[in-house]
Amino acid sequence: MKKVSRRAMAVLALTFALLLGLGAFVVRYFLRGADWAVFPGNPHTYSSGILNSGILTDRSGTVVLDATEGRKYAEDAALRKAMLHLLGDREGYIAAPMLQEYADQLVGYNFLTGTYHLTDKASTGTLTISASAQQKALEALGGRAGTVGVYNYKTGEILCAVSSPTYDPDQVPDIAGDTTGAYNGVYVNRFFNATFVPGSIFKLVTTAAALETLPDAASLSFQCNGSFDVEGDTVNCNGVHGAVDLKGALAHSCNVAYGQLALQLGPEVLTAYAEKLGVTDSFFVDGYHTAKGNFDLSDAPNVDVAWSGIGQYTDMINPCGFLRIMGVIGGGGEAAEPYLMASVDSTSLLGDYHAKTETTGRLLDATTCQTLTDMMRNNVQQIYGQGNFGDLPVCAKSGTAEVDSDQMPHATFAGFVADPNCPLAFIVVVENAGSGSAVCASIAGAVLQECAAVLAAE
Amino acid sequence: MEWITTFLDALSFEALYGGILRFVFPILSLLILGRCAKALLTFQREPEYWAYVVLPGGDRLPVTHWETLLGRGKNCDLVLDYPTISRSHAVLTRYDDGSWSISDVGSKGGVEVNGTAVRSCALEYGDTISLGGVKVTLVPFSREQEYRQAAARTLAGRQIRPAITLFYLTLFQVLTMMQLLFQVKPAETPTVALAFGSLTALQWLLFWAMRAFRRTGYEIETIAFYLTTLGFAVIASSAPGELFKQLLCVGMGLVLFLVVGWSLRDLERAKKIRYLASAAGIGLLLVNLVFGTEQYGAKNWIFIGGMSFQPSELVKVCFIFAGASTMDRLMTKRNLWLFILYSGFICGCLALMNDFGTALIFFVTFLVIAYLRSGDFATLSLICAGTGFAGILAVRFRPYALRRFASWGHIWEDPLGAGYQQTRAMMCLASGGLLGLGVGCGRLRYVAASDTDLVFAFVAEEWGLIVAVLTVLAIVCLAVFVVRSASVGRSSFYTISACAAVSIFMIQVVLNVFGTMDFLPLTGVTFPFVSNGGSSMISAWGLLAFIKACDTRQNASFAIKLAGAGGEEEDA
Repeated sequence: MKKVSRRAMAVLALTFALLLGLGAFVVRYFLRGADWAVFPGNPHTYSSGILNSGILTDRSGTVVLDATEGRKYAEDAALRKAMLHLLGDREGYIAAPMLQEYADQLVGYNFLTGTYHLTDKASTGTLTISASAQQKALEALGGRAGTVGVYNYKTGEILCAVSSPTYDPDQVPDIAGDTTGAYNGVYVNRFFNATFVPGSIFKLVTTAAALETLPDAASLSFQCNGSFDVEGDTVNCNGVHGAVDLKGALAHSCNVAYGQLALQLGPEVLTAYAEKLGVTDSFFVDGYHTAKGNFDLSDAPNVDVAWSGIGQYTDMINPCGFLRIMGVIGGGGEAAEPYLMASVDSTSLLGDYHAKTETTGRLLDATTCQTLTDMMRNNVQQIYGQGNFGDLPVCAKSGTAEVDSDQMPHATFAGFVADPNCPLAFIVVVENAGSGSAVCASIAGAVLQECAAVLAAE
Repeated sequence: MEWITTFLDALSFEALYGGILRFVFPILSLLILGRCAKALLTFQREPEYWAYVVLPGGDRLPVTHWETLLGRGKNCDLVLDYPTISRSHAVLTRYDDGSWSISDVGSKGGVEVNGTAVRSCALEYGDTISLGGVKVTLVPFSREQEYRQAAARTLAGRQIRPAITLFYLTLFQVLTMMQLLFQVKPAETPTVALAFGSLTALQWLLFWAMRAFRRTGYEIETIAFYLTTLGFAVIASSAPGELFKQLLCVGMGLVLFLVVGWSLRDLERAKKIRYLASAAGIGLLLVNLVFGTEQYGAKNWIFIGGMSFQPSELVKVCFIFAGASTMDRLMTKRNLWLFILYSGFICGCLALMNDFGTALIFFVTFLVIAYLRSGDFATLSLICAGTGFAGILAVRFRPYALRRFASWGHIWEDPLGAGYQQTRAMMCLASGGLLGLGVGCGRLRYVAASDTDLVFAFVAEEWGLIVAVLTVLAIVCLAVFVVRSASVGRSSFYTISACAAVSIFMIQVVLNVFGTMDFLPLTGVTFPFVSNGGSSMISAWGLLAFIKACDTRQNASFAIKLAGAGGEEEDA
């Protein structure tokens, strides 16, 4: 019997295998349970293919989405249109990565109680977005394609992230049958997922590189005769500016000066600063992976190096990524990373979420940023006019981004409010709208004043 | 305080009841299974003494099993360290009626009884046995000593009372039934109440019947009834109409449990039934091959009078009878060819029926039995390699089998196609959390085969992952108990059959649970006692009898005869 009883130990090998597998599964459950619970098709968290993600409000408590069962958007049609690209549509053409990112908290999942709720109360997510700012921005865009983004560079809260064109998800237009072009790229979230030729707003990056790498940058002077030659090619300016210093060059957006400055800095320095400031990076913002911009001077001839410093050539920026750079300048060299979801009051005891501010770390010197701030403030005071901005000490740079030769250029405008009580950075892009400041300054002004009012009221 | 009132107003009684029970069920489960596990896994392994062997020097060695290997090797039960004695010399066997025999197991020096050389012969107390010239005698352990020993041994169920455990289980069943009554349609209410009531009645009836025969161990049955209760709740949630069928099968399973147990009480009887059972196994499979109907891809179903039935489930019980062996046979007829042929025939039949899951169960059980009988690891490795190769060829040439492997490990890549069942299972399992959504509140029931193949996830969804894990641990507990009991087993017949039976349980759990988890391909194997399926339920109870028969705690098992302490059966 001793022999048999020893051999009986073999049964323990099966037991061991069983326990090992069970243990591995329990670990997997703790690691992936949340993903399983909110995986599309879970009968406990989806109704008719739509995640039951509770209620979402803007930062002031206005309900922008009730997804306790199906999707009920805001009462107001204008607000529905303004929020569409953040909340997604019912059909799934426009995704809502933010809702997916917080899906487990919003459906009230936790590993202990699963998706069980004792009462019918739903989870509530509070966005950093201001519904009124969204509406104001969409109204200001006036039906033109483009995007407006505003964020608090001290806290990271995104107050406005509008994308146009848009539509009312409760009254979906005939997009496929549209021939006017009014809905071109309507499903794209232009703030997070698109890239644009920056035009002259990129001169801020070139300026930052110059201020930090050229010892006499502030005292540099340039002679603008309307154009200059680079190895047989011509770089044209938007005017004849005569002798200009760096401040004047930025104010007048002088291509001759910035073309020469770019050549002086060279491709390595320009590329290093574009990369350092995150132009070519993708950022993760509450479920969104922002589109990567482009700055590539490998094998570029000198004329293209010159154009790249002006924000043309193959330069591309993502609006959210560039907004972050504005935050860095406004914040004196570092800024908060942008985010959308302020908090989730979850039905599950363990599911509550409260956003924490994270910083970009120091990307630029404080003195560089102070000089840039002065120069950008000068732009507003001397060129764009304070009139659009009320009392706000706005610092900005405009751009007119040449796109295809048969199209009007994109109008771009970016900057920030230099006020510690209203630390807002902004970016406005209006597609094929012509001159930057002429089109965008009024949009930026209206939205910034709305945002400032919202902050003041809190 | 206002929020409490508001909170309570928002709650229905039903929601509150369910909310509290979510915590009560895991606690009760832990209590029930914990008590059973403690009794089964911590009992003192007190040997039973049957006789003494007196050595030439006058030393007395106690005989503690019904089958005792004598020899010089250190793995012998009685080590007789004399140079003329072979490493494995002879097997001493005790029979039910108290008689003894001795068999030569291929010794060099031979065995003589009272001066006559024998291969195998009956033995009387006081006979002179010569093992390679070394003379020993067998001295009885008097009836009085037997009584004293039996009285001194710990009575099963004395430290942890099975009646109290059974009371907790009854509470568990009543609470489950009440929650189900909130959830099922009004028309199903009587069915659910009657089915649960009958199950409770059955378990107490069996308990009192055992008591009447002075059997005090009831932990193994309690575990089975606990799992059966979960199975009933699963069926009540998914297909209440099938509860009566399942109840009927529990009844039939209990009959099989008692019949197999009865047949095991007398080893001589068991050895005879062995041939009958082996033949029945072949017969059942042949009938299945000829009259079988294909369902869910496997042709392993038979329809009789509107009832479907899976003969291969009952073959499991026959297979164990065929595989088990007593020590004298084990040591004399070392080759396994007949058993290998028998196993090959069964696996072949199952392969013809496309039932690879069941074939795998038999194959693993074959390996367990073959190892217990031969201890020959090398040959078994060779058999495994050969079978693995054949398996690969089978998968290669049978597209049906290949399809199952295709989605294995990739279920999330095709959640609406090949991975549908398992992805739904994982979603629902996660939704249940650790405490579950409540009995009858699951959604996995709308997925095909959720109450059989995916039953682990079904239980996890409605009862929580804790209870689901406990179901697996309950089977593990039985396995560890069987291994622990082996050292005090009376006969290798009991030990081998119990190991085989518990291995079948475990391999079924492995295939069922790991299939659901996508650790293995989904093979459609049932979880013993829990999965919805009549044939599976009957065979599970039949297999349980083998486990019951290895329980040698004092007065524990009806499947083995009482020893002493108010004594032999006839005295009862």
